[in-house]
Amino acid sequence: MELFAQVAPKTFWNAPNSSTELLVKIFIGLAIGVALFFGLMAAPTQVRKPVLFTTTFVSGLFYVVFWLFPQPINRQPDDAPRNAMEGFSFWISDSQAVIADVTNIVAAFLIGLGIYSLLKVHAGRLVKQQKDWGFSAVLLVSMLAMVIFGYGDFIMRLDPANSKMAGSGYVGWTFWQFGKDLLFNGLLQNMDAAMFSIVAFYILSAAYRAFRARSIEATILLVTALIVMLSLMGLIEFYWGSSVDGLHLSNNFKLTNIAAWLGKNIQTPALRGIDFGVGIGLMAMGLRIWLSLEKTGGTS
Amino acid sequence: MRYDHDLASLSVGAIATIGLYTILYRENRFYRFFEHLFLGLASGWALVAIWQETLKSLWWDKMVGATASDGNPAVMGYWAYILLLPVGLMGYTVFSKKHNWMSRIPIGVILGLYSGQQFSAWMTRYIPGISGTMKSIVPTTTQFFKPDQNPVKGDLYGSEALNNLIFIVTVLCVLSYFLFSFDVKSKILKNASLTGRWMLMIGFGAIFGTTVMMRFSLLIDRMYFIWIEFIKQGLLHMK
Amino acid sequence: MATNDPMPQKSLGDKLQSFPKSALYLALFVLVTIPLFFPVTLPNKPIEASIDFYAQMMKLPEGSKVLIASDWTNSTRGESMGQMEALLRIIMRKKIKFVVYTIADPQSPQVARDTIRKVSDEEVKAGGKAYEPFKDYVILGYFPNGEGTSAAINNKFLSICDGKKDYPLNSPPRDVMQSPVLQGVKSVADFKFLIVVTASNSSTVVLERVTKVPKMFMVTGVMVPETTTYYAAGQLMGLCGGVKGVYDLETLMQEGLNVPGPKEVTSEKYSEKIPGFPGMPPNGNGKGARYYPSLHFALFLLILVVIIGNLGMILSKKKAS
Repeated sequence: MELFAQVAPKTFWNAPNSSTELLVKIFIGLAIGVALFFGLMAAPTQVRKPVLFTTTFVSGLFYVVFWLFPQPINRQPDDAPRNAMEGFSFWISDSQAVIADVTNIVAAFLIGLGIYSLLKVHAGRLVKQQKDWGFSAVLLVSMLAMVIFGYGDFIMRLDPANSKMAGSGYVGWTFWQFGKDLLFNGLLQNMDAAMFSIVAFYILSAAYRAFRARSIEATILLVTALIVMLSLMGLIEFYWGSSVDGLHLSNNFKLTNIAAWLGKNIQTPALRGIDFGVGIGLMAMGLRIWLSLEKTGGTS
Repeated sequence: MRYDHDLASLSVGAIATIGLYTILYRENRFYRFFEHLFLGLASGWALVAIWQETLKSLWWDKMVGATASDGNPAVMGYWAYILLLPVGLMGYTVFSKKHNWMSRIPIGVILGLYSGQQFSAWMTRYIPGISGTMKSIVPTTTQFFKPDQNPVKGDLYGSEALNNLIFIVTVLCVLSYFLFSFDVKSKILKNASLTGRWMLMIGFGAIFGTTVMMRFSLLIDRMYFIWIEFIKQGLLHMK
Repeated sequence: MATNDPMPQKSLGDKLQSFPKSALYLALFVLVTIPLFFPVTLPNKPIEASIDFYAQMMKLPEGSKVLIASDWTNSTRGESMGQMEALLRIIMRKKIKFVVYTIADPQSPQVARDTIRKVSDEEVKAGGKAYEPFKDYVILGYFPNGEGTSAAINNKFLSICDGKKDYPLNSPPRDVMQSPVLQGVKSVADFKFLIVVTASNSSTVVLERVTKVPKMFMVTGVMVPETTTYYAAGQLMGLCGGVKGVYDLETLMQEGLNVPGPKEVTSEKYSEKIPGFPGMPPNGNGKGARYYPSLHFALFLLILVVIIGNLGMILSKKKAS
């Protein structure tokens, strides 16, 4: 049986849009989900670890099997499996797309966690009129404004009569589009850029105070950083290159060539070595998470 | 007076940018106002985009289906997608003292899928790098320097072989620094780890240089926005 | 111990190590701002990774299709927007169709939409053709689970397009599967390239999971050293890194590759002539060209303060000994 496969013919898993059958099935599905939810809440403590272990292990097992089991090569849309092995291979391949869908949907729901937490903290501060509650009010009002204008704009764009809004300029724009654009591009995007750019000042100040050649390692770091930064400056590169232009051998001492040699023969292998080390750690961590051996995110 | 949206957008952006930059002087209420404004707008947009860009098409439309309209074909609704709602909402039980174990179920599903992918992901990411590290260190010609004009294709010159040797030695020294973090008695391994540490410093120097370039670029972009886009082009209408 | 004792005089070394923060900030602010008012074209020698990126894009035949992962927002506008604009200009001039998706940030699809519209308007002003949503490009939206989505792209690309709608001009929202952009696309291998424009590690997520299509990355400065290791291993066909990469692409778009001229750009790898777009935007006015002089001054200031700090340390040590 194909897992929720998007086939046009009517099956147990689907029904036509707005039909009573679909609404009834959705309602039943919701009831099952809610029953599962409350059932888990009422479940005894001994059940928790096995439930968590099973969900994590089965989820991981899917991709392990997906990787290990032979995949169909050059499969055509109307190809049918010739035997059970091929049938399983087809099913795994088709299911992967649905699994990706499922994880995107669950991850989308989980993104709301951070927003819910933010709402809880700031709404609490506002209601209890704690210190700096005014700023919490600013946060909540701006969140509400963005939601209202964002959805207002989205709903308008769904209307076929407003399709010219997709074009250039402000053709067909109304209060909702201007409002959303002011909040998104005028405020949010500019503040996003400003927040990240502040770090430049801190880097300069930190480099001045802390970047000292106190040991061999620090000196190597300093000299390499200097060479890399000089190689990023086209003007320096140009004048340095002109001054060593001449014999073929002296071309090797052009700044671009020195930086390129360092990059290709020392920086790349050094970073590759770090990458390998990190990779071994990631593999070990992946295995531990899959087998629920990892205490922090696992079953304890 | 007609509403100039471009100027309004530039103006609020410039004021907000300057407001955030006041942190460089010291923590102040002006900065905190814009900081909270930013957080509110960002989280508000996340709520909009999660529905608009993701949930509506991936979840809702697939669950309820659609009738044929405006050139779009009819699509069946798949009722089982409703089961994902209680599963997703289990994540919110993290705020409950008694039931917060249930929040690990959806997280466990996502982490489990991620960890199951790690094996093939590891192979795809690192095998080309490992094979790329296996370079030839034996020259195939007596010439040391590679000629600029008409080098013989397929020949490995002495200078190239030396570069390859330096490449391999660097990778091995860096790996020995990471892997032999316990006390080693062998002088060769000790020196290899020391050399690895020095090579790492060269790598970190490159990271520092490019990171600095990136951070300064972000600042330059903000200055360009304020001075050129807002003041010169927006307010003074100069090209 | 007596309170009347005069404060010990600060030595030159100590003075050199104790400039006030505000002076440093002001110096950076001034040095970065002034060059913006005096735009000059600085000499630039594009690096091989950028040349590879440009050459591979320019070799694409008209009507090809590319897949773009636009994983950036205005937080890295200084680099990522310049990269995206350079990429879009090449794509639009080569009349290549493209599909955009995001795995990094909910803001990214809207930012991509706005940037595409802006570059299309600029191309129309320069005499080019407008790029229309749905007809010339589609935007698939945001996928919160990057790992699963990337695996689905590699396994069955059309599954991520299922149910997605885009907004054509003068027409109601349409299913993207009906777009001319996706006609004839059966798998990700039908795209010529997967190009990732990113400010995060979404490039690594894509690298690990998408194997059926050649990839090229456009990354911010902080990701350049790590991504260079993948480029060196042949896992990427081209790499554009940071604002230097943006300026490299703008230089190549202006001068071409191996095109004879006063500012000829040559390459060890490519001997054939690959033309540029001389006279067309950005024509010396792009983000790379405008930011490059300021970058010189900022880097120069950083190098200077580091040297001053170390000099101060040496002088202090000498005095102490």
